[in-house]
Amino acid sequence: MKSAYVGNLEKGTQGNRVRLMDAPPASVYAAVQKGKAEMLTQNPSRSRRRSSGALARARAWTSLACLMASCGNQPINAQDQTAIPTVSEPASSLSAGEPRPQVDFTRQIWPIFSKNCLACHGSENQESGFRLDSRELALTSGEEHAPNLIPGKSAASNLLRFASHEVEGLEMPPDGEPLSAEQLDLLRRWIDQGAEWGEVPEADPGEALNWWSLKPLVSPPVPAHSPGCRNELDAFVRSKLAALGIAPSPEADRRTLIRRVSFDLIGLPPTPEEIAAFLADTSDNAYEQLVTRLLASPRYGERWARHWMDAAHFAETHGHDQDRIREHAWPYRDYLIAAFNEDKPYTRFVQEQVAGDALFPDEPQATVALGFLAAGPWDESSLRDIREDTIDRQIGRYLDRDNMLTNVMSNFTSSTVQCARCHNHKFDPIPQTDYYALQAVFSGVERANRTFDVDPNIHRQRLTLQTKKRRLENDNLARREVLLSPSVAAEVAVWEQELTAARAAWTILAPASVGSAGGATLTPLADHSVLASGTAADQDTYTLTFALPAGKVTAIRLETLADESLPLDGPGRQDNGNLHLSELEAFSGEGEQSRLEFARATADFDQTDWEVSKAIDGSPQTAWGIYPQVGRSHVASFELKQPLTASAGTTLTVVLKQLHGGRHLIGRVRIAVSSAPGALLVLPPERIEAILAVPQNQRSPEQQLELALYQQQSKLAGELAALPPPSYVYAAASDFVPDGGLKPPPGPRPIHVLKRGDIRQPMDEVFPGALSCIAELPARFELPETTSEAQRRAALARWLTNPNHPLVWRSIVNRVWHWHFGRGIAATPNDFGRMGGLPTHPELLDWLAIWFRDHGQSLKQLHYLIVTSATYRQTTANRQANDPATTQDVDNQFLWRMNRSRLDAESIRDALLAVTGQLDLRMGGPSDRQFDLQPGSHVTPIIDYGKFDLAGPGANRRSIYRFLFRTLPDPFMESLDCPAGDTITPVRENSVTVQQALALWNDALVARRCEQFAARLRGISPSRSEQIAIALELALGRPPTAEELTELTAYSEVHGLENLCRVIFNLNEFVFIN
Amino acid sequence: MDPPLSFTRRDLLANASGGLCGIAFAHVLAREGLGSSGRRDDGLVGLHHPAKAKQVIQLFMNGGASQMDLFDYKPELEKLHGQKFDPGTSERVEAATSEAGAVLASPFKFQQHGESGRWVSDQLPHLAKQVDKLAFLMGMTSRTNVHGPASFLMNTGFLFPGFPSMGAWISYALGNLTDNLPTFVVLPDSRGLPYNQRGNFSAGFLPVMHQGTIVRANALQPLPDLAPPVSAEFISAESTRDGLSLLEKFNTRHLTAHPGDSRLTARVRAYELAAKLQVSAPQVFDLSDETAATRARYGLDNPVTEDFGRRCLLARRMVERGVRFVQVWSGANGPTGNWDNHASIIKELPPIAASIDQPMAALLEDLQQRGMLDETLVLWNTEFGRMPFSQSSEGRDHNGGAFSGWMAGAGVKPGVAFGQTDPWGWRAVENITTTYDFHATVLHLLGIDHQRLTVRHDGADRRLTDVHGQVIREVLS
Repeated sequence: MKSAYVGNLEKGTQGNRVRLMDAPPASVYAAVQKGKAEMLTQNPSRSRRRSSGALARARAWTSLACLMASCGNQPINAQDQTAIPTVSEPASSLSAGEPRPQVDFTRQIWPIFSKNCLACHGSENQESGFRLDSRELALTSGEEHAPNLIPGKSAASNLLRFASHEVEGLEMPPDGEPLSAEQLDLLRRWIDQGAEWGEVPEADPGEALNWWSLKPLVSPPVPAHSPGCRNELDAFVRSKLAALGIAPSPEADRRTLIRRVSFDLIGLPPTPEEIAAFLADTSDNAYEQLVTRLLASPRYGERWARHWMDAAHFAETHGHDQDRIREHAWPYRDYLIAAFNEDKPYTRFVQEQVAGDALFPDEPQATVALGFLAAGPWDESSLRDIREDTIDRQIGRYLDRDNMLTNVMSNFTSSTVQCARCHNHKFDPIPQTDYYALQAVFSGVERANRTFDVDPNIHRQRLTLQTKKRRLENDNLARREVLLSPSVAAEVAVWEQELTAARAAWTILAPASVGSAGGATLTPLADHSVLASGTAADQDTYTLTFALPAGKVTAIRLETLADESLPLDGPGRQDNGNLHLSELEAFSGEGEQSRLEFARATADFDQTDWEVSKAIDGSPQTAWGIYPQVGRSHVASFELKQPLTASAGTTLTVVLKQLHGGRHLIGRVRIAVSSAPGALLVLPPERIEAILAVPQNQRSPEQQLELALYQQQSKLAGELAALPPPSYVYAAASDFVPDGGLKPPPGPRPIHVLKRGDIRQPMDEVFPGALSCIAELPARFELPETTSEAQRRAALARWLTNPNHPLVWRSIVNRVWHWHFGRGIAATPNDFGRMGGLPTHPELLDWLAIWFRDHGQSLKQLHYLIVTSATYRQTTANRQANDPATTQDVDNQFLWRMNRSRLDAESIRDALLAVTGQLDLRMGGPSDRQFDLQPGSHVTPIIDYGKFDLAGPGANRRSIYRFLFRTLPDPFMESLDCPAGDTITPVRENSVTVQQALALWNDALVARRCEQFAARLRGISPSRSEQIAIALELALGRPPTAEELTELTAYSEVHGLENLCRVIFNLNEFVFIN
Repeated sequence: MDPPLSFTRRDLLANASGGLCGIAFAHVLAREGLGSSGRRDDGLVGLHHPAKAKQVIQLFMNGGASQMDLFDYKPELEKLHGQKFDPGTSERVEAATSEAGAVLASPFKFQQHGESGRWVSDQLPHLAKQVDKLAFLMGMTSRTNVHGPASFLMNTGFLFPGFPSMGAWISYALGNLTDNLPTFVVLPDSRGLPYNQRGNFSAGFLPVMHQGTIVRANALQPLPDLAPPVSAEFISAESTRDGLSLLEKFNTRHLTAHPGDSRLTARVRAYELAAKLQVSAPQVFDLSDETAATRARYGLDNPVTEDFGRRCLLARRMVERGVRFVQVWSGANGPTGNWDNHASIIKELPPIAASIDQPMAALLEDLQQRGMLDETLVLWNTEFGRMPFSQSSEGRDHNGGAFSGWMAGAGVKPGVAFGQTDPWGWRAVENITTTYDFHATVLHLLGIDHQRLTVRHDGADRRLTDVHGQVIREVLS
C-alpha cells in the first residue's frame, strides 16, 4: 500500500523543503537581445577572437532575453519586491481633483510587466498566445481573449480585468502576489492615456552574476570560539545561534554517539564489544580514536560509495522498455568503494570520472571510473535497434548526451544546466549555447563495454600496441616512411617466405564419415570435397569426421567450393548461391571428445555484417556469408587457441551448423589442417593476395606499401591477441565492439543549438565548452578541430577541477555535509542557482570549501572535521514550545541540535545481517542477484525477488553488492526509499509509509533474519533474560530496562524468541538513529 | 510539525495556489472526511477547482494500438492499397524499425454505430454498442516512434525515466479516498508487465508512497507483504496480534521519550493502518460475492476474455471501495501478445482486440448501471498508433504521428469526437491532441489545474504536462 497516506513528514525532495529563496533578478527577464549571442557559438578554430572578460561574458547571456517561464511556473512571491526598483508613486501624494500626471512607461509600467507578466507572455513563452513584449503584439495577440489591451479603454481591457481578478479562473498573475492597488492604478491610467510604449531599459549585465554560488571563493574570518566549540565549524554555527538567541544542545551520551557515528561512517551498528570498549575508554580523545578507526575501515568505502551511486544514478540494467542487464557495470561500483577507501583526492576523483582515460592513460582504474558517465539509463530501442536513418535515433542520441552532461554538471557543479536545453535558463545565467557546448563535449562517446586491464603492466603494453595500431591507421607521410624503410622491408620479406612455406603445409583430409541432420545427400568426391544434393532443408548441420595424420594441428581450413550442380554455381545452396555458416565446431578424439577452441577466423571474403568471426562467436543467430561473391570458391581459416598434437588416426570431427534458415546451406565443402604457426594461416584479403601474386621485383612502391602495411597490421593484431584477455567495464566509450546497430561513433558528432530543443530545428554549430557565467574560467575550450573526443572531456575535467572554481568546491563540501546532517548548508545539493536553497551558513560553506581544497582534498579529513565537531555531537532532543529554538527555528536549520535520521534501506538490511551474525564481508566482484530470473517475452527478463533463496550464496553480503535492476527494483528496498537509479538522487526520500510497515513486519527477508537472530541468541546463552539483554545490545546498542525485560520475557515465553526478534526489528528505536 | 486540522475548504483553495502547501492541506482535509465506512465522500473537492471526476480507470493498450484498424476509418487506404505511400509532401517517409512498405488497407470491416454515428471496425462489436457514451480523441499525436520513450511520455509526460506517472501525480495532489486500499493501483496483463516495466507507474521524484501498487490479479498474494510468508512457521495470528500490541507499547514509550518528531507518530499509525489493510484488502480480490450474471458479462467464463475481464471487474470493485486511480493493462512487453502488431495486423490484432472488447463494454455498462459513471472517468489509451503502410507485407510499424483514444464518464461529453487525421491516418492534422493536452484534460476533470500542480526537482518546477498542455474543452460536458 505505497499510496495510503500516513506521513512523509520529513520531506526529502528538494522541492518539499521550505526554501530560503531569492527571486530571480528582473534583469534576467527584462534583458533585451542585442545580438551578442553569436559570440559563444563561433568556432574557436575559425575565430580566435574570444571575449574573455567577465563583463562581456555576462552581457552575452543577459542579452539573451529569458522572457519565459517554461519548465514550470515561475515563482513570484513577496520577496520579489526587492528585486527591481519599485517606481509606483503613492496615490496619496496627489490631491483630489488634480489632473493625474502622464504615466511613464519605461519607469512605471515596464517594471510591472517584466516582473509579473513577461515570464509567461514574452518572446520565449506565450501562454494563450499573448505577448506583452511589444506594443503591437500586446494590442493584437492572445487568441480567444484578444484584444487584451484597448488603448483608452481600461475597463474593457482584459489585461487590467485579469490583473485585478475580475474574471474567475483568469486571475493574473496565476501564482504569487497579485498586483498592488497602486500598480493597478498605474496600469489603468496608462491604458486610459493611450497605452503608449517607450524605451525598454537594458538590464544590468552584472546583476545576473551577482549570486552567492558564482562569487569567487574568499576565505571568511572564523568567528571567535565560544565556550564549547571544538573546531572552526562550531565557531561558525554557534555565532549564528548566538545571534538568534538560541542555545546549542549538550553532547549526546556515549552510547548514542557510537551508534550515530558508526551508522554514519560505515553503515553498520557498533557491536556490544565496541560499545563496551568505548564506554570504558577514559582517554580524552576516545571519540576521536573511534572516528579514526571507523574511517580506516573498509566498510567506510562500502557505505560512502552508495551515496555517490545515488547521485550518479547507477544501476546495472539499461532501464526503458528493453531493460537489458549490464554484465560489466559492477567494476565501477568497486572503483568507487576503492576510491573512498583510498581517500582519493577530490580533483583526481572528478577527473577520473570525466576523462580518466585521457588524463591518466597508464592507470587502468581511471578508465573504470568512466562508468560514472554511463551510470544512468540508456534507451536500447532508440540507440541500438531502430533504424540508423531515423529522427528517433537522433533524438535518442541527443537525450543520451543530455543524461551524461546532467550527471556531470549536477553532481560536480550543483548547477541546473539541463534547464537550458530548450531555451536559455530562466533563472540562472546559463544560455542555451552553454548547454550545447556541453553536448559537444560528449558528442564522441556512447555507452558500451569498454576494455581495461586490471594489471597495469598489461594495460601499458596494450596501450602501446593500440597506439602503434592507430598510427598505422593514419595515412600520412610518417607512416609511409616507416613502411618503406629497409627494416620493415626485411620483415616483410621474411614473412612472405614463411607464408609461402605455411601455405604449402595444408593437408587436405579425406572424409571418414559424413552426415546431414537435415536429410541432405552428402557425397564425397575424388578431390576429398563433399557435395550436397537432394533435400535442401531450411536449416542443416553437417557432421564430417576425418582421421588425422600424426603431428601438430594449428589450424583448420574450410573451403566452400563452386560447383555446376549448385544454384548460380554455388558455393551455397540458396537460390542466390549464398550460404550462412552459423557455427563451426571441431572436436578431437572418439567417445570422450574434446572440443577445440579457436583463437580467430579469417576468410578470403566476408559478406557485409556476416564476417567469418561470427562462425566461432558461439551465437547461432550470427553467421558467415559470402554474398554477393557467389559462383566462385571461398576459403576460411580457423586458428586453434592451443595446437592439437594428434597421433596417427586421431579422429577430427567438424560440425558445420547452418541455422540461419532459408536454405542458406553449404553446397560443396573441403577440410584441411595445417601445422604451421597459426598467424601465418590468416588469409589475406584479395587485394593482398593479388600483390603477393606479383613477383617481388615487379611490385610498385604503392604495392610494397600496401603489403608492408598489411604485414605490420597483422603483426600488431597478433601481438594484441597474444595479451591476456582484457576485463570490461560498462562506461563511456568511443572505441568498442559494435553491438548490432550501436557502433563506435566516427568521431565527435557536430552539435548545433536546437531551437526550442527540437532536433528538426538546428541552428548554429557549437564547440566544446562549459558554463559562461564563471568569471574565473574560460567558457569555451580552445581545441583544434582534429582533437580527439577524449581531449574534449579532458578539457572539461580540467575546467571542473580548477582551484578557482566557485561551484565545485562548495558543491562537494555541501554534499558531504548533507550526508552527515540530513540537510546541506544549502538545502539543495544539486542546485546552487536562484531556484535552489540559500546557504544557512554561507561563510561556513566557503570556509569549508577552501579548507577542503587546500588541505589535500581528503574526504576522510572532511568527515573527521565534521563528526568531531561539537555541532555533530549534540543530542537530538527537542525543546519546549517557548524556547527560542522552537519559536525561531523549529526545523533546526541552524543546527541547535542534531537531526534524528531514519536509517536508509541499505543500513536497515545490513543491520539485520550484522545483528544476526550473518553478515558476509567479502568485498567486490559481480553483484549478488537476489532474485529469480526467467527469460521474458522480450529483452527484459522476468524478475521475482520472492523466489530468491535467502539461505543461498550471495544472500548475506552488504547491500552495496546487490544487483540493481532499474525498472524492476527490489520491493523491500524500494519501500525503504532506496532509489532505482532512473534519476539523479542527491537527496533520498526518508518516508514513513504503510508499505514500509508491511515490509518490515511481513517480508520473508525479515522473517528469515528473525530465525537466525533467535538461533544466534540461543547459541550465546540458555538464559532467556540474557538472550533478551544481548538482543537489545546488538539491535539497539543498549541493555533493556527492568520493565522492558519483564514485558519481552512475557511475550517470548508465549510466542518464542523468533517472534520477539520480529518485534525488535520493527521498533522505532531500531530504525531511527538519535 | 503537524499542520493544523481546522483549515476550511476556502483556506485550502486559497492556499492551493501556493502549490505544495495546498497539497499538504489537501491530504489533511481528505483524511478528515473519512467516514465510518472507511470510504470518503468528499472526493469532488478538487485541488484548484471543483472536480467533475473523483476516480479514474485507465485501460492502457500496450504496444501501440492501430488506429486505422479500430476507430479511424480510412476509405482512402482501400483505394491506394498496394501502392507506394506518398503523402504528397517533400517529407521523408520513415518507419522506426523497417523500410516503409506499400499502402495497407485495413483488412477489417467498418460500420457506423449509435446516434453519434462513430465508425468502429468489426473487431470491437461490443464496444461499438457503447460509442454514444464515449468522447473520441481522433487526432492524438506523440513525439516519438519508439515504445520506451512513447510509453514514458503517455504515462509521465516525459520521454525518459525518472518522472512521476499520471496516477502518482493524482495520488500526490488529491490523496486517498480510503485507508483500506492503495490510492493508485496497477493491474498488469497476467502475461507480464508492459514496456518500461514498473517505470510506467513510477512515483519518479515524488515520495514512493505515490507510485502505482501492482496487484497481480491471479497470484496467491496479489499484494506483496500483505501477510507473513508461509515459510515463517513461527508466526501465528496470536503472535502477530500480541506482537503488534507489544510493538505499539514500545513505540509509544519511545515516542514519549522523544517528543516533537511527527515521523515517530506516523510510524505508530502506519502499523495500525497496515493491520487494517491486511483485513480489508483481501476482500476486494474475492469475486465470490459477484453474481454469475456479472461474471459472465465481464467474460470471466471465456478464456479469451477472462484475464482482462477479471481485471476490469477488479477495477470496478476497487473504485467502489475508494481507490483513486486504477490502470488496467492489455498486453505485456515484447513482440507478440499485445498491440505491437509488426508482423501481421490480420493475424495479431483480432485476438488481442477480442480479449478486451466484451470486458470493457461490460465495465462501461456496469459503471453506468451502478451510478458510478457519474463520478468515475474511464480512459482508453495507447502509446502511439501504427502506419498506414505495411511492414513486411501485412504488419504495421510504429507511428507517433497519429493515434486514437477515448474518454467516458464523469465530466465527459458523450458521443463526440475531437480531432482528425489525414486521409491515411498517418498524421494528426486537425485539432491535434498531444499527450500534454490529454493529461491536462484528465487533471482538469479531477479539479486540478495542470499548470499549478508542480514540484521542484533538479532546478525546475516540474509538472505532468512539462511546459505544454491545454484542456480540451470540446470533450467536456
